[in-house]
Amino acid sequence: MLIELLQVVLNGLLSGAQLAVPAIGFTTIYAVLRFPNFAVASHMTVGAYAGVLVNTQLGWPAGLALVAAFLVAGTVGVASDTLVLRRLRPSGPLTAAIGAAALGIVLENIVRFCFANDPRGFDLPVLRDWRVSLGALGQLRIGPQQTEAAAASLIAMAILFAFLAFTRSGRMMRAVADNPTLAALKGIDAQMVARRANFVGMGLAGFGGMLIGLDTSVDPLTGYRVVLPVFAAAVVGGLGSIPGAVAGAFVVGIGEEFSTIVLDPSYRTAVGFAAILLVLTLRPRGLLGERAL
Amino acid sequence: MTALLEVSGIVCGYGAADEILKGVDLQVAPGELVAIIGPNGAGKSTLLKAVAGLLKLKSGGIALEGVAIGATSPRARAQAGIAFVPQEANVFPTMTVWENLEMGGFVEPRHTRTRIQALLERFPMLADKRRQAARTLSGGQRQVLAMAMALMVHPRLLLLDEPSAGLSPKAAEALFDDIAAIHAEGTAIAMVEQNALEALAIADRAAVLVDGRTALVGPAKQLAADPQVRRLFLGG
Repeated sequence: MLIELLQVVLNGLLSGAQLAVPAIGFTTIYAVLRFPNFAVASHMTVGAYAGVLVNTQLGWPAGLALVAAFLVAGTVGVASDTLVLRRLRPSGPLTAAIGAAALGIVLENIVRFCFANDPRGFDLPVLRDWRVSLGALGQLRIGPQQTEAAAASLIAMAILFAFLAFTRSGRMMRAVADNPTLAALKGIDAQMVARRANFVGMGLAGFGGMLIGLDTSVDPLTGYRVVLPVFAAAVVGGLGSIPGAVAGAFVVGIGEEFSTIVLDPSYRTAVGFAAILLVLTLRPRGLLGERAL
Repeated sequence: MTALLEVSGIVCGYGAADEILKGVDLQVAPGELVAIIGPNGAGKSTLLKAVAGLLKLKSGGIALEGVAIGATSPRARAQAGIAFVPQEANVFPTMTVWENLEMGGFVEPRHTRTRIQALLERFPMLADKRRQAARTLSGGQRQVLAMAMALMVHPRLLLLDEPSAGLSPKAAEALFDDIAAIHAEGTAIAMVEQNALEALAIADRAAVLVDGRTALVGPAKQLAADPQVRRLFLGG
């Protein structure tokens, strides 16, 4: 029994690490621009397609394909914000959120039009699970690709934290997230910060989308299938808080895995809904919602 | 001599139909400290926000050294040398004291480290807390940090909105000493202050705002001694 619980926790941690990257992308944009950009789902899909195309068509390895996923999704994020969402933001967060949801559907259908509905897989060797013996307790099974994906997530998170803490651009973003009026008074260009937040946020969404594609396959609904847990992670952690999004992702990831002990796995997404309801009822600002970025 | 700041008959407010300022005039000469006093709701803070670029003018004009800036962005005004310290929300709460100072000097990124070091020597309390998040500071410490952030750019005009609000008498006294010292170095200051007697004691001139209009302007000491001003605005 204990080994099964450990296996569930381990699976939850690996799955939480994958959710964390798009969740921090979502929350970064929320922190700076103050609206929930639901188009994060379609940008995850865009990133997954960018990754799978450079991997299968150009022969790029997974690491470089992740960089491509980040860059393409980030660029599409900046373009979609500049062309569509920037005009909606002055009308308020609700209008911008609805516009983002509509934009997401448009992008998803552009992807469907260009690449059809067939699932695509990465051209990578299939590796057997590692088995780690814990003596009398039994064996833990660890998927090498899930472990690599979790490691890539941790690296991306570390880079983001370093970017926010040690670069002028990162500090600008934190300043705008903290107090946009004061940031304007100090001469920080809000439009430039918005572009950078979109590039970083949607780039991370694309990066996370490819990680999920590596674990499963890539199709036009790759992002939409996981957007609820991603959103749940950001809400549970506290919208606008990056450490919160990471904590929330692990809570949702482990919660989903635990739910499979008592429920059919097809119900696991209900954990995301339950987590959102629970947090909004008991602690509306989320686990770490006091801090911005 | 050309005034550093020239505000001429400005009309503005917070919404389309809202007119808090109904025709305010104000001049600030280089190196001068002007106190802006008046009853609650007179438009004192609104005037500073308009000068800082946070509010759109409906009419009238604002000029800095003869150059019209009334239609420019807050960023452009910061670059022109106007530094505004709001009454509240005047620091970045989750950023450290050091990072706040860096952001204070955003429009002049050269020599940032040297300037921060100089300000930390000037305000030793900030040096002790330079790695702490600004939200952990007391009200008085935050006001000092907010002023230090404004000084990061060697402003030509410092706008202070009720700097002593919410402070203990001791902290307020220390803050007024700091403001007087900044003024003595030649920085022009326009200061809105509820504690009018303290403000008039360190100001060169004062403007009295009533119902969105400039009611009186004159030397600070003369206004402080005026029986009518004392009765109406200085508590007798």
